[in-house]
Amino acid sequence: MRKYLRLHRIFIAQDLKKLMEYKVDFLLGAIGFVLVQAVKVLTLGIMFAAIPALTYKEGGVVVDSWTFNEVLFIYGFSLIPKGIDHLLFDNLWGMGYWVVAKGDFDKYLTRPVNSWFYVLTEKFCVDAFGDLFVGVVLVLYSVLSMPAEIAADINWLRLIPVALVMPFAIMIYTSVKTGTAAISFWTKRSGHITHMCYMTNEFASYPTKIYNRFIKTFITYILPFALTAYYPAIYILRGESVWSLGVTVGVSVILFLLSQLIWKLGVKAYESAGS
Amino acid sequence: MYNNSMIHVENLQKHFKKAIKEPGLKGSIKALFKPKYDIVKAVDGISFDVEAGEVIGFIGPNGAGKSTVIKMLTGILTPSEGFCRINGHIPTESRKEYVKEIGVVFGQRTQLWWDLALRETYMVLKEIYDINDEDYKKRMAFLNEVLDLEDFITSPVRTLSLGQRMRADIAAALLHNPKVLFLDEPTVGLDVVVKDNIRKAIERINKESGTTVILTTHDLEDIELLCKRIVMIDKGKKVFDGELSKLRSLYGQMRELSFELTKAEDMEKLTYAEEFNFADDDLKVEAKGTDVKVRFNTDTASVEEMLSFTLSKVHVKDISVKDADIEEIIRRLYKGGGSAL
Repeated sequence: MRKYLRLHRIFIAQDLKKLMEYKVDFLLGAIGFVLVQAVKVLTLGIMFAAIPALTYKEGGVVVDSWTFNEVLFIYGFSLIPKGIDHLLFDNLWGMGYWVVAKGDFDKYLTRPVNSWFYVLTEKFCVDAFGDLFVGVVLVLYSVLSMPAEIAADINWLRLIPVALVMPFAIMIYTSVKTGTAAISFWTKRSGHITHMCYMTNEFASYPTKIYNRFIKTFITYILPFALTAYYPAIYILRGESVWSLGVTVGVSVILFLLSQLIWKLGVKAYESAGS
Repeated sequence: MYNNSMIHVENLQKHFKKAIKEPGLKGSIKALFKPKYDIVKAVDGISFDVEAGEVIGFIGPNGAGKSTVIKMLTGILTPSEGFCRINGHIPTESRKEYVKEIGVVFGQRTQLWWDLALRETYMVLKEIYDINDEDYKKRMAFLNEVLDLEDFITSPVRTLSLGQRMRADIAAALLHNPKVLFLDEPTVGLDVVVKDNIRKAIERINKESGTTVILTTHDLEDIELLCKRIVMIDKGKKVFDGELSKLRSLYGQMRELSFELTKAEDMEKLTYAEEFNFADDDLKVEAKGTDVKVRFNTDTASVEEMLSFTLSKVHVKDISVKDADIEEIIRRLYKGGGSAL
């Protein structure tokens, strides 16, 4: 494990050096991500300009509601685990799009390191600083501009359990990417499957209560991105859904093991490409 | 029976499932709902042994299954049937331990990191292979000397020329002092001087480190200069395994007559085919202006007969006879599917 961490550190250092070489590329990449997020926030802003709060009704009675600041907080928070995964483990995207199809996976198999870990650590995606930056800004802004009566519910001590669960939340992203990328070992290309699954995280940055039961179950247990976004965020804000922290650990570990299994079987089925 | 050669390959097979598609849109739709598969045996039961320190030329026409065999030997592909054992390891079973003992170079694609300076690449490999500082220094000095890396060691890999990149790749595969080196077309696309340097380097590495080398190539000069023994495969099957000299003696009846005509028009008078009734494969005449090369089988016509026929018909400035080169022999073997052996 120490060898892997050392390797990861070397690759990160290399990518930072590369960053110095391709400054414009980095800036454009990061600005791109910031812009994408800015448009999404703008959409939220326009929506909330028309309504006072997002509400959830049961039998015509308002059961729960979320203000603009809260939704913004949830959204901003969701970008943090997503951004960290993006920063550290972005290389998995290439697997499904071209690495396997072109036979480039060969090189990962001729080195005495775990092939999954090798793919994972080879790239340090600095573009992700765009995501992380927006996430942190949104969280801070939403808290600072929050009406006092809502801010009063926040207990910052809740950050401690959330921070402890954070690695598992990140692992949800990584495992979904790993499992779907590994499908390419059989199908040659699976980038679009990864993309499709990954995009369901868009649902997860809003209160899950607003969805029907199917979507709710789906984003909590199947592709459990809600565990990386809404649940921990609402726990920080209101102390609700403490149970979700435990579920995050459990579901994340299951997903991780499942994705590793798919990967292992996939490597056996790998067919390379003619040269 | 336990066999303790460096590389032991037994009935190695690799089958690929290939979707059959009928032509046209109709065929595509049909394939979507009712996919049909064909089993293609890319490698169909190959066995051979390689002793430590040998340099083996692994040859065959395009699509013969060479690369597939190499990929199974290096642990990239899992064999469908049969097995290979290298220095006591089954590649796919203990991959991580196994690959520490081998070095792999694929001529067509680099294993170096595109954006890293070459020196940094070696630093990363040092970590990957857990090489200690002292060994690393010694090894680097040796490789530097053999492969002449000094001039470009600080350049990023993407700026290297093909020849430099190949030397860098070979060094990268040898940094951890592997017992076996797999070279898949190491000289492809290189100029004569660079080819020569690389061959010399491979030879030195084999001699000085005792590294076993498995070499696939289409460049028969590589084989002639480096390998005592060749294994030839075609359509997934082994068609020849033995010393190069054995191959040469088997096909030794081929000779090459080359001469220079005083007048290019005289060429018409040299009707070897009619005169001696050569079969298609047994005669090849190449004429470039006044320079003529005639390759022929001595079973049909002796050297003496060919010479006297030539001299009786035309005037020549210069004439010589030599053994057909290995390229010719292999061309004939490829064509015949090795059935002659």
